[in-house]
Amino acid sequence: MVEPIRAPFAAFVGAVLEEADEGSVRLSLVTGPQHADASGRVHTGVLTTVMDSVIGIALSRLRGEGGDHRPHATIDMSTSFYAHATPGDEFVAEGSVIHLVELVAFGEVEARRRGDGELLAKARLTFAIPAARK
Amino acid sequence: MTQPEEHTLSPFVQMVGAKIEEWREGYVRLSLVLEEKHTNPHGVSHGGVLTTLMDEALGAVIASVRGLDAMRAAPHATVEMNVSFLAGPRAGDEIVIEGRALKVGRSVAFGEAEARRRGKDDLIAKGRFTFVMQTARSG
Repeated sequence: MVEPIRAPFAAFVGAVLEEADEGSVRLSLVTGPQHADASGRVHTGVLTTVMDSVIGIALSRLRGEGGDHRPHATIDMSTSFYAHATPGDEFVAEGSVIHLVELVAFGEVEARRRGDGELLAKARLTFAIPAARK
Repeated sequence: MTQPEEHTLSPFVQMVGAKIEEWREGYVRLSLVLEEKHTNPHGVSHGGVLTTLMDEALGAVIASVRGLDAMRAAPHATVEMNVSFLAGPRAGDEIVIEGRALKVGRSVAFGEAEARRRGKDDLIAKGRFTFVMQTARSG
């Protein structure tokens, strides 16, 4: 199942939606020279962009139409980087919402290199959900 | 002060579209006029845009303190990044990212970055980053 990514920036960077169900979401990206940082490795921003979108999409799936009326937004993202990807590598980011209440949601996501499965990065994200209009 | 034109942005940040406004030892400032391509499905800046520019600014800040020779011998890599998003800028807004070094040691460096909207000057995101200098063995 492949469908277009709704976030313009994630699509611009090159992310592909591989799987999205109510439990978890998986995106992937084949990196190239355009994704390099100053040292020639894959820029951390490529990973954080894809990881942020994983949880944003997972939360949209859980919230259904409510997500369109009261759009959620990332308010905190904490990321640890364990290994770097090299342009040419493909990586996969998979994550899920671990807690969702009225005004806030939490998610966890990890990114791995496709092929050897090496863990590249892990992130915890907090999303705010606007209060319903009374 | 070193002139900005002596420095270049990484290929990824060139693709995203930011420019260098100031680059001196311990301080780097970048800016970007947000376009539709930088947004999420709800029309506000994608979190990845700000984390990308903050990491770029701080990587440059650490390089400005360490010098190019030290950086080539043991490139620094981001190992930890904590960013809070306080407001959601939209297409048309110009965002300014300032990066400052907190401490640059022999093997570890710390920096913080702030993003503001030009004109309004309201803080829209704040980040704290940790870098580790990688030897050939640990890289």
